[in-house]
Amino acid sequence: MPGRVKKRSPLKAPERPYIAIGLEGSANKLGVGIIKHSPDGSVDVLSNVRHTYITPPGEGFLPRDTAQHHREWALTIINDAVSKAGVSLHDVDCICFTKGPGMGAPLVSVALVARTLSLLYNKPLVGVNHCVGHIEMGREITGAQNPVVLYVSGGNTQVIAYSQQCYRIFGETLDIAVGNCLDRFARVINLSNDPSPGYNIEQEAKKGKRLLPLPYTTKGMDISLSGILTSTEAYTTDKRFRPNGPSAEDGEDIITPQDLCFSLQEHVFAMLVEITERAMAHIGSKEVLIVGGVGCNERLQEMMGVMASERGGKVFATDERYCIDNGIMIAQAGLLSYRMGYETPLAKSTCTQRFRTDQVHVAWRA
Amino acid sequence: MDTFRYPHLPSELSTVHIALFTNVTNSAALRARIVRASQLEGPDGDAEREAVNFAFIDARLICSRLHLQTAIYQAILAQAQGSLRTKTVHSEILWALNPTNNITEAIRRYGVADATTSLIVVRIASPDLNDVQQRMNAVVEGTLTPLDQLAQITDWASVKKYYKLNSEPALKELAKDPVRERLYVDEIVTSSVAMKSVMA
Amino acid sequence: MSSQSRSATMALLEHAETISQGAEAKIYRGRLHPSSSSEGPDAPPVLFKYRFHKQYRHPTLDVSLTKSRVAGEARALIKCLRSGVNVPGIRMVDAAEGVIGIEWIEGKSIRFLLGGGAEDEEVVVDDSDDTVEEEASPAEDPLQEYGLTKDAVMLMIGKEIAKMHKADIIHGDLTTSNMMLRHPSSLKGLQLVLIDFGLSYTSTLVEDKAVDLYVLERAFASTHPQSEPLFAAVLTAYEREMGKDWAAISRRLDDVRLRGRKRSMVG
Repeated sequence: MPGRVKKRSPLKAPERPYIAIGLEGSANKLGVGIIKHSPDGSVDVLSNVRHTYITPPGEGFLPRDTAQHHREWALTIINDAVSKAGVSLHDVDCICFTKGPGMGAPLVSVALVARTLSLLYNKPLVGVNHCVGHIEMGREITGAQNPVVLYVSGGNTQVIAYSQQCYRIFGETLDIAVGNCLDRFARVINLSNDPSPGYNIEQEAKKGKRLLPLPYTTKGMDISLSGILTSTEAYTTDKRFRPNGPSAEDGEDIITPQDLCFSLQEHVFAMLVEITERAMAHIGSKEVLIVGGVGCNERLQEMMGVMASERGGKVFATDERYCIDNGIMIAQAGLLSYRMGYETPLAKSTCTQRFRTDQVHVAWRA
Repeated sequence: MDTFRYPHLPSELSTVHIALFTNVTNSAALRARIVRASQLEGPDGDAEREAVNFAFIDARLICSRLHLQTAIYQAILAQAQGSLRTKTVHSEILWALNPTNNITEAIRRYGVADATTSLIVVRIASPDLNDVQQRMNAVVEGTLTPLDQLAQITDWASVKKYYKLNSEPALKELAKDPVRERLYVDEIVTSSVAMKSVMA
Repeated sequence: MSSQSRSATMALLEHAETISQGAEAKIYRGRLHPSSSSEGPDAPPVLFKYRFHKQYRHPTLDVSLTKSRVAGEARALIKCLRSGVNVPGIRMVDAAEGVIGIEWIEGKSIRFLLGGGAEDEEVVVDDSDDTVEEEASPAEDPLQEYGLTKDAVMLMIGKEIAKMHKADIIHGDLTTSNMMLRHPSSLKGLQLVLIDFGLSYTSTLVEDKAVDLYVLERAFASTHPQSEPLFAAVLTAYEREMGKDWAAISRRLDDVRLRGRKRSMVG
């Protein structure tokens, strides 16, 4: 907080290097990362490996198939991460895994792997909140001190700020997540899921010219996205819609898939920037950190940058290695709480599909 | 007659002249003259239109000076932005005063009628226009009255009827207190005029 | 301010006094109507709220959004006025420029009158658009001037919010900064006035009304120490005015308190 005496961090510098492995599989990415915290305060990403379950165009990923993917790839990815890091699993201090939120079956399949490793190597488990993982990795990578966090992914849309050892949610979606909204629209217009539907929407949007009217639904610091998805979809049945682009005899008044991607992004991102700004004004912060898969989107980063600079502030964003779900963020958040003395006993190493960001006790911050 | 100058408005719209006439005796003739002027062609038509180039407003339906000024101001804004809904800035005042979007109804209710005896005459002009009072006197036969006499003229029952205020919760509580009731009717009506451009 | 041909409204604001700047709007105090050439008192001041352009938004979207928000705020105010809720009157609307002019309330914010200077760590910068506050002089109770006890003020707050909710208007940002006491010496007399309808909307849902109350409860707790009895008085008056609709809202308010403003959904 500006103008306030900085409180001392409760997290002591480590007396020796600490190493943690993080396993993430709450959605269609399986990620494994290994991180090292050194006594001099430095943090090293020793490895960060990911494999994504990609479905054909027009199809989303189902929990059962996604869990199957994670099970099939777990050993390969873990071996890869361990060998890239140049460490042995005997060397790690703790095994961190995503406790939630996310899809049940994939979460459980990865937690099972974590438990197995814990018993095999006799290492403590640390259950991590996926959202807190994103925030902590974003802070670490960008060096943002006390930012307002916009967390935007396939399953989550939240505006978060730290307060009294808790990441408080100031605003969030009242229905579907922004990534979900974009992905579902990508399916409607049959965009590829490779590398991700959101990436392909972004590329299409760059070719869009026409801004079509769509609902704009912010409610205080919250937003609603289901109506805008329905309205965008409705344009695909409009007489002026040309799924394959304009033909020779078409005049000006046509609608292309590119226009729809453009219009959808412009509206949805403006709403996100608006609620983020409201939260920044509310708590008096000038920094904003974007995390989560949608955070890769350069148009969103650009708009956020304009807003932040108008406020005399700065936007922090990470690239796809850290924005998109990954194992290293689980290792980072897990190791922070492990260093504060937190462990998850085997009997409590369950998963939970609903796990709010503000339920986590952020012991490592002042 | 009162003259108000708005330095921030475009010059040709920056000066507002307002006069209240009571005991008006030529309303029917005046109304006929306005209608005729709108139909005349050629230079005669232009001269005649200039002679009646005012907003003529039934004073009984005006609650307060602020009420009237609000309608005038919104009409000027519409003119300055090129978003008039009626033909002239003067007829736009009548449109702003009426709670519905019906222009004919606005002119019938708020404009001069054959039986009108209290009339407010408004001219929006550039600061260079002189002898406005004489021009008004030339068309209206009546007694020039200070604007603050308006309170004695207002027909509150008609105002409430046009604005459908009789069933509103705001006024039910105030039925026993006519002074406060008028204050509230004036506020609702003035506010309605101010936001008419974004009403629905 | 744009350098291209200045609109009348922008010229007006240039001569007005800036009161505050929030995330979305700038607040000015100025005069709309000049005094007459011949007679009459000066017109009272007007509060102008200017929703400035947001550069990050697509210009087309920005213009239509600004227009609809100005319109939305004006409609909420007129609906309140018609329903007998004490709110500022509207004086001018220029939707194209994003400006609404409203009645200037002579009086003080409830936050000021309750001595709510001490801001907790979450509220470093106040984003409420219409706050006009002075430093509290700790020596005397500023409410004395209004001849009211704190409890009496709380009852006025509860009654006003209930009237607003009966008209199905949700304020969206109820705080003690967004309420004022109109000074007894003003024309309309002593009143509790609700201000800043920038985040308001229409809803018949019990949930929305309960959340509106919860937001105020949180605002009381964070700005005014030992606020529990105060807020209880607000609810007492609210209940009295709401009548039979209170039971459902009360039950929902208990739910909202348990889970916080946010629903427990994540997925």
